[in-house]
Amino acid sequence: MAVENPPTEEASLPLLKTEEVLLNLGPQHPSTHGVLKVIVTLEGEKVIKSEPVLGFLHRGVEKIAEQITYNQFIPHTDRLDYICAMYNNFAYVRAVEKLLDITVPWRAEYLRTIVAEVQRIIGHLFWLGTQALDIGAMTVFFFTFRDREVLLDLFVDLCGARLTTSWYRVGGVERDFTDKIIDDLYRFIDSFPEKIAEYDALLIRNRIWLARTKDIAVISGEDAIAYGLTGPTLRGSGVDYDLRKVSPYGAYGHVEWTVPLGTKGDTYDRYWIRMEEMKESSKIIRQCLDQLPKGPYKAYLPKFVAPDKERVFTDMESMIYQFKLYSGGFNAPEGDIYCGTEAHKGELGFYIVSQGGGKPYRMKIRAPSFVHMGAFDHMAKGYMIADIITIFGTYDIVMGECDR
Amino acid sequence: MRKILYNFLFVEIVKALKLVFSHYFVKEVTLQYPHEKTALPNTQRGALCLLRYEESQEERCVGCDLCGAACPSACITVVSEVDEKDGYVVRRYASSFDIDITKCVFCGFCVEACPVNALAMTKMYEYSTINKRDLIFDKTKLYDIGEKLHREAKGYLVAHNQEGEDEEVVSQYRYRFPSSRQEEPEQEEKK
Amino acid sequence: MSSVGKQSAAPDAVKKMVELTIDGQVVTAEEGSSLFNAVKWTGTQLPAMCYHYSFSPFGSCGLCLVEVEGKKHNVRACTAKVTEGMVVSTGTDKIVEARKGAVEKHLKTHPLDCPVCDKDGQCELQDMAYDLEVYDIKEGKRKQIPEDTRSLVLDFNMERCILCGQCINICKEVQLVDALCFYKKDKQKHVGAHGGETLYCEFCGDCLAVCPVGAIVSKFSKYTFKPWQLKKTETTCSFCSDGCSITLETNARDIMVVTSELSYESKWGFDVEPGEGHGGICVRGRFGFQYVMSDARLSKPLVKTEGQFVEAPWFKTLIDIGKRLNDIKATHGGQAIAGLISGRCTNESVYLFQRLMRSILETNNIDTAARYGHMNSVLALRETVNIGGATVDEKQLALSDAILMIGSNLTETNPITALRVKASMSEFAGKLLVADDTETKIMKLATHPLQIAPHSEGDLIQGLVKAVIAKGLTDPDFIEKQSEAYAALKEAVARISETRVSEKTGLEWEKIEEAAILLAQSKRGVLLWGEDIVSEKGAYQNVRRLIDLALLTGLFRKEGAGILPVCEENNEQGAVDMGAVPEFLPGQVSYAAEDARRQFANAWHASLPESTGGSPGLSLSEIIEAAHRGEIKALYLVGENPLGTLPASMKVREALEKIDFIVCQDPFMSETAEIADVILPAATFAEKEGTYTNIMGAVNRVTEAFDPRGEARPDWKILTDLSKHLGHPVQYHSVEEIRREISQMVPGYYAQDKVHETSDLPENFAEDIPERYAAPAQDTRKNTMTLSLQQVLYHSGKLTTRDKGLMKIYDKAVLHISEADAEALGNLQTGDSVNIKSPLGQLEVQIEITPELPKGLVHYPVHFNDPPVKDLLATEIDAKSKVIYFKTGAVTLEPSASLDLRVITPEDAAEDTMEDAGKNAAKNLSAEDAA
Repeated sequence: MAVENPPTEEASLPLLKTEEVLLNLGPQHPSTHGVLKVIVTLEGEKVIKSEPVLGFLHRGVEKIAEQITYNQFIPHTDRLDYICAMYNNFAYVRAVEKLLDITVPWRAEYLRTIVAEVQRIIGHLFWLGTQALDIGAMTVFFFTFRDREVLLDLFVDLCGARLTTSWYRVGGVERDFTDKIIDDLYRFIDSFPEKIAEYDALLIRNRIWLARTKDIAVISGEDAIAYGLTGPTLRGSGVDYDLRKVSPYGAYGHVEWTVPLGTKGDTYDRYWIRMEEMKESSKIIRQCLDQLPKGPYKAYLPKFVAPDKERVFTDMESMIYQFKLYSGGFNAPEGDIYCGTEAHKGELGFYIVSQGGGKPYRMKIRAPSFVHMGAFDHMAKGYMIADIITIFGTYDIVMGECDR
Repeated sequence: MRKILYNFLFVEIVKALKLVFSHYFVKEVTLQYPHEKTALPNTQRGALCLLRYEESQEERCVGCDLCGAACPSACITVVSEVDEKDGYVVRRYASSFDIDITKCVFCGFCVEACPVNALAMTKMYEYSTINKRDLIFDKTKLYDIGEKLHREAKGYLVAHNQEGEDEEVVSQYRYRFPSSRQEEPEQEEKK
Repeated sequence: MSSVGKQSAAPDAVKKMVELTIDGQVVTAEEGSSLFNAVKWTGTQLPAMCYHYSFSPFGSCGLCLVEVEGKKHNVRACTAKVTEGMVVSTGTDKIVEARKGAVEKHLKTHPLDCPVCDKDGQCELQDMAYDLEVYDIKEGKRKQIPEDTRSLVLDFNMERCILCGQCINICKEVQLVDALCFYKKDKQKHVGAHGGETLYCEFCGDCLAVCPVGAIVSKFSKYTFKPWQLKKTETTCSFCSDGCSITLETNARDIMVVTSELSYESKWGFDVEPGEGHGGICVRGRFGFQYVMSDARLSKPLVKTEGQFVEAPWFKTLIDIGKRLNDIKATHGGQAIAGLISGRCTNESVYLFQRLMRSILETNNIDTAARYGHMNSVLALRETVNIGGATVDEKQLALSDAILMIGSNLTETNPITALRVKASMSEFAGKLLVADDTETKIMKLATHPLQIAPHSEGDLIQGLVKAVIAKGLTDPDFIEKQSEAYAALKEAVARISETRVSEKTGLEWEKIEEAAILLAQSKRGVLLWGEDIVSEKGAYQNVRRLIDLALLTGLFRKEGAGILPVCEENNEQGAVDMGAVPEFLPGQVSYAAEDARRQFANAWHASLPESTGGSPGLSLSEIIEAAHRGEIKALYLVGENPLGTLPASMKVREALEKIDFIVCQDPFMSETAEIADVILPAATFAEKEGTYTNIMGAVNRVTEAFDPRGEARPDWKILTDLSKHLGHPVQYHSVEEIRREISQMVPGYYAQDKVHETSDLPENFAEDIPERYAAPAQDTRKNTMTLSLQQVLYHSGKLTTRDKGLMKIYDKAVLHISEADAEALGNLQTGDSVNIKSPLGQLEVQIEITPELPKGLVHYPVHFNDPPVKDLLATEIDAKSKVIYFKTGAVTLEPSASLDLRVITPEDAAEDTMEDAGKNAAKNLSAEDAA
């Protein structure tokens, strides 16, 4: 890989004179995964410095959160990482529940876990497709999108939207699984291993794929921790850190699964981990579906959770709660909390400062994509310009979440 | 030697091509939109509509604007007015009900909030227009959608646990406007 | 420190303290005060729905329960009194359960009205149910009471009522009106007027504001809004001179509802100091908002072309106005231009207007609505003690120990100031002396009612002055410092006969003496006078006498004591302060003062017209006279409507028709606007920025709630734009800039706590004392009725007659007549018609029998021009203050035969008396003529 330093001082030979080139990559480049701009300093084809410029998709979501009630913010979380709305919902409602100090019925926990893992599979499939597309393999993209579509249809069945789901609610979920959804889910995880075999057939020995991923964007475990990387990007460097294991939430503590770990910390390792995680996810889904307990899908906490519609028509107090909760939101206690959740990209955390009342005083979203961009310069240094694209891809960045 | 042969003959490429071309014989999944359309489940969160009560064809909406308060993108504007009859208020209703569908995020919170189940979502998703002002759905348009796609709207309410399936039970759970004022003139006459 | 209910104790009374333990914390509290407050001061806020700091605890909601050691049952903290050694716990589980039970009790009978209820979103029952986590209550029974919609303004929905009694208590204890009560009907408890009758009260709407649920609803905004839809704008009311702070709740274009602090401020009264108001507003402020949205509002500039008004664009209209005014100035000089500005314009507009008139148009012929009366007070005070208005504020008024109120129907004209007066009596055990010819509402409440004969205010004041001196109660400070004046006064009053005063006023001398003693011996006495003093004949002299009385009793000197002259329109005081009268420059600086004039001229980069011959410029009456003579060529009117206000005897129409060019700047098409050449649509108070100065000198902020209707513009904007076309642009980009200039030119005008320093009396003070206390000429009137134009609570000026809501409440253009007179006229009943006759014409009006009136006095609401009763009145102009008096006049009544309301006031009926109108018309109007 090493490129010899060209002679820079020999001014007498103007034709051979080379100097650093400043290249603006993006924000309209099709493979920058949205509107990311990177100012790359090149020496020939070698990247010597890269500076990501963020904020082209900034919508002030954190500020919006201060103006609207806790519940109203749920649809806004859909639009953070728009590929994986469910997981954002999950992370957010977990944070609010932690602030309110309420617990969720077991059935709701299982439902949440299942949908979160389905969302993880969707996220990884999407990543796989686009990463392969970035590198030049178009077929994988079609294959993964075909399977992703099956799961998105399932989401439509579940909540009525493919991407902007808003299915999670503080204190539970919006709607229970129907039998059809459960059947579909079983069918999907039964056939999923075949699908993974197809992707493997296309990629695992594909020499272009290997050449473009092996030994690219290597980061050591120490550096990864130092840069605050999380998720597959961290585990690819061999650091065993998964919030689902470290501090289990949902039903993760009740099912058996393993955390795949990489060794070298290169793009290929991260690819491998994502493939393994999809397998683990389908394992979790199967176990959860098997264990799915009976019971309510949302908590009966009139102060925080809107009452059933039927009761609103007949009970005075339910009517009051309906109006209080939808017009002013619930009264959150004073205090501040941080709650991190293992999304498929990494740790998605919500930091909420409450001064009482129905609206947060301040909300900070720890978006994994944003944190990962901090390590971009470190990981891209010394590689070729062409590798920049795969490095974006290896983080699985989504600008909606990055810029917020 | 085998590895060299493997590399030389592009075995992995051949394998991949085999997989790809085998898909020629798999049933196609692509739909030829707009000639073909997918069947959407009842849960589909599409365009909003306003509903009337089935038996009396009265507007359900009382103009309480709780939908407006619940809306995360503030796209609903309700102006309420009263209907007077013989000097007594017989009905509160929304004299104008506008949903800016360009701002709407289709979260369905308004439907959840509505205390009279006047709002529902439909499976309608094709409302592109050449005039962007058409995208502010006014009261007439919302009721039109509600009439045209009444079954879808009802299906949505049932699917999202907003209304029971049994019509008779549903009609019991009905918001009734404080109707006692109608009796008052009679009472006075008695005295 | 807060008032615990209505204890009615002087603010400086010493209270005994006791010690008690609340949740382990030892606290001291006043003996006999409510336990609720003692708990409150420990930092624990007990929940309550029926509690309000402004009245005594009622104890109906059952939420403020506490446990008291030694008591078997839970105790309601609000009604419990603190006692020595009490041990109280407030947060035990048992208590919480009991509180839940209390809320459940209310919810069981509550209808599911939240979707339509106007209170939803700020409903205390909702809050309590939510806070106390009430759920899964057993099925209850609805009350099934039909809504009471009989009243004109308020609807009572007894199904929603939780019978907390706040409405009744605030009406009884704060308003002292006592219009509401509980009554039983069909075995159900109702709230409403006594005996279940249709409610017709002062409609202050405080009951509406304190109602914790949606049981009392305003008809004007019923079912049309939800609180989260509305934008709140805190501004100042535009009607009377109280200058109450109100909150306009608006959607994008309309005011939906008007509220005040009472609706939102803590009902616990944490920061309320004694004497501070409860934050309520009156019927005008609360329900008189619809005129802003009236369809009659002007929306475009109108220019008269060939006798018709044609809409014109602003830019061209302003250019034309500028050209015409400049032409007139060039050909006839500045003296040919005059300007009138209403007492409802903001201080900033007034300031800008007088600057424009003086510096650009070079005229000092400007006047304002204060010329209908308030100028008497201002000029008399300025000439004697060198102050420009009241010397007490709201709090001092409430805390005063004796208030002498002369010639003011305060509850009608200034209801919120009246509340402070009521509070001084009911809350702080003050004495209230009310002298009036009618038995007004406030007189009925007064501790010392002094009902005097009509037109005997002057005699009463003379008697009071005499009594103070005779009893030797004169302020020693005054005797010492002003020995000369004191001697002159003493000598002058010696000639006044006690019996004559008694005879004239119809009061026993002892009563007058008692009043004088109370005022003279008071620590914080307040002397208040109103429209019956300032806008009736001889007003200037009466005000001077009142100032004498105040000086003798030391009201200017004592801490907390003072005087309070009341005026009508919201910014009359401000208009005078801002110099919209020929006598004064801004800051009530005499226009004759050379230095001051130079200072302003320098600031405005202009030269000001000279003050010649003692009369610096023309006042209102002089402007009309000059117009008659054809000397006025252009008139600029800002919100003023002389044609609608002044009686026909002033011949205003003829005068105005002689003026070449009239510009009228008004939100509405007024009578004067109809004969104007150009009409500019102006913004109402809800659509502009600025400040109003109230009677107590407090400057209150006016804030814009929404953009003006149509193409209307705020006054300051019109005037700024016009100045460009006049060739001398004034550079203001916002009201803030004008305000900054005013603060520079009139230092301390916007200060919160103004100090009313009186200066020493002028040297010539003693000179006219003999004249002032000379025995007045024999009253020649006999056997005639006196007609007096009176203000009505539900209206303010002519403005509110444009308001749908207030007209619905009160549109009775009827003559109020005493029982005795009605009987004398042949047993007339309310609703009958009479012919009312004066030398100036005769009219037919309906009558209403009003028992409060004495024989020989009839009242007619000043707000209504149909039938134009005001045209029956002659005018007289005060020689000193140039105030135009047309408030009262002699009339005769006879029962009328026909019922049609025709107007028989053609000029020929009284042509001879109309000669030299405006100067001595009233002199010709003697009793003989009338008979």
